[in-house]
Amino acid sequence: MSDNESDDDVRTDGSGSGIVAPDDETPSWSERKQRTQGLSRLTYEYFERGRREDQDLRQQSDYVERDVLAFPAWPHEMMRNLALTSFFVGMILFVAAALPPEMPNPANSGVTPAIILPDWYLYWSFGLLKLGPLNPDLAILGGQKIMADRTYGVLANVVVVGFVAIVPFLNKGSARRPVEQPFWAAVGMSGVVFSLTIAALSIKNLIPMDSHLLFDLTFLVPIVSATITYAVLKTMREGYMFTLNRRYYRLRPPK
Amino acid sequence: MSLERKDDHDHKGWMKSRELSPLETIYLTTLIWLDKRLRVVDYLEILEDLYYKVNMQMPKSHTEQYNLDNKFWYWYPLYALGSFSTIAYIVAAISGALLGFYYAPAAAAADGSATVAYDSVLLIMGQLNLGYFLRSVHRWAAQIMVAAVFLHMLRVYFTGAYKEPRELNWLIGIILISLTLVFGYTGYLLPWSQLSYWAGQIGVEMSLSIPLIGEWVAQLMFGGFTLSQATLQRMYILHVFFLPFITTAVIALHIGIVWMQGIAEPH
Repeated sequence: MSDNESDDDVRTDGSGSGIVAPDDETPSWSERKQRTQGLSRLTYEYFERGRREDQDLRQQSDYVERDVLAFPAWPHEMMRNLALTSFFVGMILFVAAALPPEMPNPANSGVTPAIILPDWYLYWSFGLLKLGPLNPDLAILGGQKIMADRTYGVLANVVVVGFVAIVPFLNKGSARRPVEQPFWAAVGMSGVVFSLTIAALSIKNLIPMDSHLLFDLTFLVPIVSATITYAVLKTMREGYMFTLNRRYYRLRPPK
Repeated sequence: MSLERKDDHDHKGWMKSRELSPLETIYLTTLIWLDKRLRVVDYLEILEDLYYKVNMQMPKSHTEQYNLDNKFWYWYPLYALGSFSTIAYIVAAISGALLGFYYAPAAAAADGSATVAYDSVLLIMGQLNLGYFLRSVHRWAAQIMVAAVFLHMLRVYFTGAYKEPRELNWLIGIILISLTLVFGYTGYLLPWSQLSYWAGQIGVEMSLSIPLIGEWVAQLMFGGFTLSQATLQRMYILHVFFLPFITTAVIALHIGIVWMQGIAEPH
């Protein structure tokens, strides 16, 4: 700042930079952070701790820290992404050209179509609306149902989505692979199969099968597939896979 | 002796004193021009930090460290499903914006006659150059996006990628898949065909079945207890205004968190 020193002190005519240079009295930003109080002070302390912890972890770790030796983002990774993206977009265009959508008749509230259906990805939700037979009658209410069948169906949607949402809070621990956690893999498998069977239930008019049998199968097939998954994974865990990965498990014992 | 003030920040003089190639000169001139106005220097540290975080610190990945590639290679293609759904979303956004030039959400009668909305879709399919293809692309991109999102969720579940530091992103993902389904549903109603109408009927019935707030939800989403012009209008605004903004923001958040936390590798 030789400019400021050689010039006159402070100008009052509005010229000059108007910026007061920080002197020794002006606290630096880190000093300001240290001097804060209350919540911001707590935040500052926590972040300092976090930074130190990070540093310690980095020093302890036996990871190999590398300079730019990784797969280069440009051009290699970008070219790969570009190729994959154009392939995928091309696939969409191809399917779109090969299988164009049809256009049904205009809306008519007087004519109920034989089969009322949403798009395929909502079949599961539509199927959950048809769970009326499972809606319990309560003896206390004299055989009356607590809620209407359709309310029950909407609630079933909430329950299913809610269960999927809380999975991370139910299944903890470091196990990652299906082999390590046969139970949760079985739960997942039953979920996948259930989403298919409940979709089949929603289009029961189209399926050449007794609808009561279909209703029972909707719940039985997921349970059966879950059992099979569990048995298979348990066997794998005991046998082939476990021996294959013994070294890995020694390094990182399953919880 | 020059009468001009000595200037520490005489960037031009500094540039002259060095022998710069034309490319370097152009680069520096642009940089100085921008820096004088935006003070880029103040943000350089952040950029530098970002650059180092992205490129320089590459610890060995889990699979690399324990040499697990030979056991998990078959998972790897499934790790592309997230980007596939994003790409499908972008394709749907572009084709949807083009469709929006020609579509009009109007005159939602239900007496079996063709409404303005229905006619505008027919116009897109019959009269417009490449219009049928455009609609087909939009529809298929949406279908593929839903499928990819669902499979992406399965991949995350079966590789246990939702575990400890990533629970929040799992929840955001649940929100995203719901938004995707609502996106599909609102779009399904727009042509105001028989399928649209009766799907809308199911929707109204479903919202009316919700305890306590059912009627309020039906009013808010469908503009009444029966399907009318208001329904179509609301579906349209949801589909082309609210949902795109919300979904894009949530996708950005979702991907941003993946960026920060790193991809959960197979173990």
